[in-house]
This record gives sequence, C-alpha cells and structure tokens, in this order.
Amino acid sequence: MREVKKTAEKRIKDLLATHSFPSLEVIIPILEKAGHGEQELAAQFYDTYTSLAKGIKEILGLKDKNMKTLAKVWEILTIFGGEKIQPIELSESKFSFSTTDCPMVQVTKDINSNVKGRYCDLLCAAGSKSLMDTLLSPRKGTCTWNKAMIKGVGKCTVVFELVKD
Amino acid sequence: MSYLKNSWFRISILLVAVGLIFILARLNMVESTSYADLRTALTTTTATFGTLLGIITAGLMFTQGKFSELASELTEKSSDYLAEVLSLEKIQSIETRLLALRKAFIQLAANTTITEERNLYERIITKGSSIFVNFAVLLNLKLKQQGLPDADLLVSEMDPNLYKVYQKRRQIIKKEWQIFFLIKQVVDAWEAPTAFFVEKPHSESALQADLKSSISVLKLKENIDKSSTNIRSEVAKTLSDLNDEISEISKRLHEDRIPQLLPQMKQASTIRGKYFYLALVFIATPLLVNLLILPQLSETTATFFQPIISITSLLSVMGVIFLLLYIHKILNV
Repeated sequence: MREVKKTAEKRIKDLLATHSFPSLEVIIPILEKAGHGEQELAAQFYDTYTSLAKGIKEILGLKDKNMKTLAKVWEILTIFGGEKIQPIELSESKFSFSTTDCPMVQVTKDINSNVKGRYCDLLCAAGSKSLMDTLLSPRKGTCTWNKAMIKGVGKCTVVFELVKD
Repeated sequence: MSYLKNSWFRISILLVAVGLIFILARLNMVESTSYADLRTALTTTTATFGTLLGIITAGLMFTQGKFSELASELTEKSSDYLAEVLSLEKIQSIETRLLALRKAFIQLAANTTITEERNLYERIITKGSSIFVNFAVLLNLKLKQQGLPDADLLVSEMDPNLYKVYQKRRQIIKKEWQIFFLIKQVVDAWEAPTAFFVEKPHSESALQADLKSSISVLKLKENIDKSSTNIRSEVAKTLSDLNDEISEISKRLHEDRIPQLLPQMKQASTIRGKYFYLALVFIATPLLVNLLILPQLSETTATFFQPIISITSLLSVMGVIFLLLYIHKILNV
C-alpha cells in the first residue's frame, strides 16, 4: 500500500517537473516591456493546467467529473507546489478557498498593481477555465477571485461554482 | 571573498578577547595577591593547560584517523568516478551541450533590448559557464589520469575570465578525491540542493527555473519571430538531455553518500588545521610560559610574575571554553 502511495507521489512530482509554470517574476517584467505576449502566456497556462489536471486525474484514478474532483486536483497542485490553501466550502455545486500564497505575489514591486491585476485576471481565467474544461465538462462552471493580495487587503478568495441548468 | 570576511571577523574576535584579557589582568594587578595564592593559581592553570592539551591531542589523533579513513574511502570512489561514471564520451557530450547552450544564450542576450530579458539570459550564461568549467577541469584530470594528452579544445572556447576560473579550480584540486567538490557543485547548480530529510516539494534549481522561463519567453516570441521556434526547441532538447545526463551522475553521487561525506571531510580538515593551531597558540604557549615561570616563582619574584600569572589564568578559562567547542566539532565529524 505504502509502495503504491509512494509511486503515485513520485509520478505527480515527475508530472509537475515536466509541466512546470514559467517564473512569473521573470516573465511579467519582460512581457510588460515587450508590449506583447500576454495571450500566449495565458495559452501556456491553459495548456500546462490541462496537462497537469489530466495527469493527476489519471495518477489518482479519479473518474468522476465534478466539483469534488476539481477540489482534489487543486489540493494536490497546491500541496506539491508548496502553497497553502484554506478550504471554505465544498459542495456538489461549489468549491471555495482562501490563500495567502500565489505566484503573482512574487512579481517584483516595480510592476504596478494595475499591471499585476491584469495578469492576475489573465492567468486565473486561463487556469480556472482549463480546470473546469478538464474536470467539470460537459457541465459548465464559473470561477471568481477577489485579487485581495494584489490589492494588499489580505487573503485572496477563489470560488468555483457550477452554472445552474 | 566571504572566506576573507570570515577570517577578519575571527581575527577581530581574537583581538578583542586578547584585549579583554589584558584589561582584566591589569585590573587584577591592582589587588595584591599572596605568594601562596599565586603558586596555587600557577599550578592549577598549568595542570588545566596540560589536561586540555592532552585531550586536544587525543582529539586530534581521532580526527586524523577519521580524516584518513574518509580520504581513503573518497579516493577509492573518485577513481571509479573518473573511470566509469564520468566516461570520456559523457563529459564530451555534456560539454558540447553546455557550449551550444552558452552560444545560444550569448546570441539571445546580444539581440534583446529588454534589460530583464538580458539579465535572464546572462544568469543562464554565468551558471551554465560555471558547470562548463567544472566539467573541463574533470576532463583535464581524467585525461591526465589516463595518460592522454589534453587537446585543450574546451579551453579554446573560454574567454579570459572563464579561463581564470578554470585555472583556479584546476589548481584547487590537489588530491584526487577533491573532484567530488566539483561534481557536487555541478549537481547543486543543476538541481536544487536539499537539506537532510527536508525535501521541498517540487523544488528546482535557479538555473533550471531560468532555463524554463527562457523557454517560455521564446515560446511567447514565436508569433513575432519565427527563429525563436528553432532556438526554443533546441534549448528544450538540450535541457532535457543535460537533465538526463546530470541526473544520472547525481543519482550515483547520492547513492555513494558523497554529499554527506564531503561536509564531514571539511569538518575534520578544519579541526586538523585551524583548531589545532589555535590550541597551540592559546593552550600550548601559556602552558610553556607557566612551566618556565614555575621554577622561578618565589616570594621575591611573585610581584613581578603576578600579571603574567593573571593572564595565563584567564587564558585557561578560555581554554576550557575552547575545549567544549572543540569537542562539539569533533562529535559532528
């Protein structure tokens, strides 16, 4: 049993090493100066999240496509990424959590908060769309985030919700 | 540079300690002490210094034994590494890849107008060059070991600064087992070094993070500059190949417990060197002074010898503290 668990852990680590995110701390100042590449970065985030979500789903043998699967995959991603989240609510139709850790926080202070906010929207939209497309589809969902950390007003709250039919 | 700073720091502490001792001795001088008290103090401190020197000598012999044991273990392993793990083909293949990577990033750094992007590429060039130099030194040692001539092909690819680093690192290697310092440097630069039992989840080195960021930047540029596609795929392939090759070396290095043995070796070497000389200066010298004074001490000479006896008495207290530190260091070997 322990052996099986260890194998899964190793496989997830390998998966994260293969599909890692570029360092936003480095990328964002470059894109900001270059004046282009935002959409391409969002596409990279979408592709990376899709590969990770599919990989984790397969490694953990998660078959259902629902909010619980999304929460589980998200939990694994944050644990292995060294981030901490605090779950607020998990039901059939809703998953919400708060976090004090996000790659956007690492982005240099030289970049103003409006620019950070724009990238935050871009990347959260790409990442959440990817997770919902992979883990909830054919059901539709929405994701909202309050950018509290970028605004400097505390924890950021993220809410995934299923769209009522 | 940090070594120099450390040395100055230690010398300053020693100077302050010596100054403090002199002040305390001067203060003690004011109070008159009887001949009997001085004799007792002198015999007690002499006995203390003698005991300390005895313990430190025993510690030194133990450390010397441990050092020789570790050195022979590492020397035996280093021959295997030069002969098998670091085959000629493997070193040449790694060096070719590092060289290609270096050339590509020098070109990229020259072509960009964005400071952050240039900084990213320059960081990669610096770290990659450091690994390149280490493998060049290893290749040089390997060729020497096999009695083959060094064509200096890799040296010809180095600029003057890099060549200086190469020469310096080559001169540092005095014993065969010291190649492990170079190999560990490579592995630590390539993979994120992890502390004992604490493995950060999904950790990668600064170099790998920068390489991945550069791949990402090149991918973002593809829509505008098609040549980025070729460079990106070349960098990605080189990165993957280098990862396979260096991971293999790293795996063997960890299997052989080299990252654990090297700090032990360093510790033993410090105790044999620096700590032993400190013991000689601060324990053996006052002991000798005491032994010289002891036969001369009489009621008439007591006042004359009083300040020296005060100094050596205070040094004996420092000696005991030093011994505790020494034992602590020995236990970590």
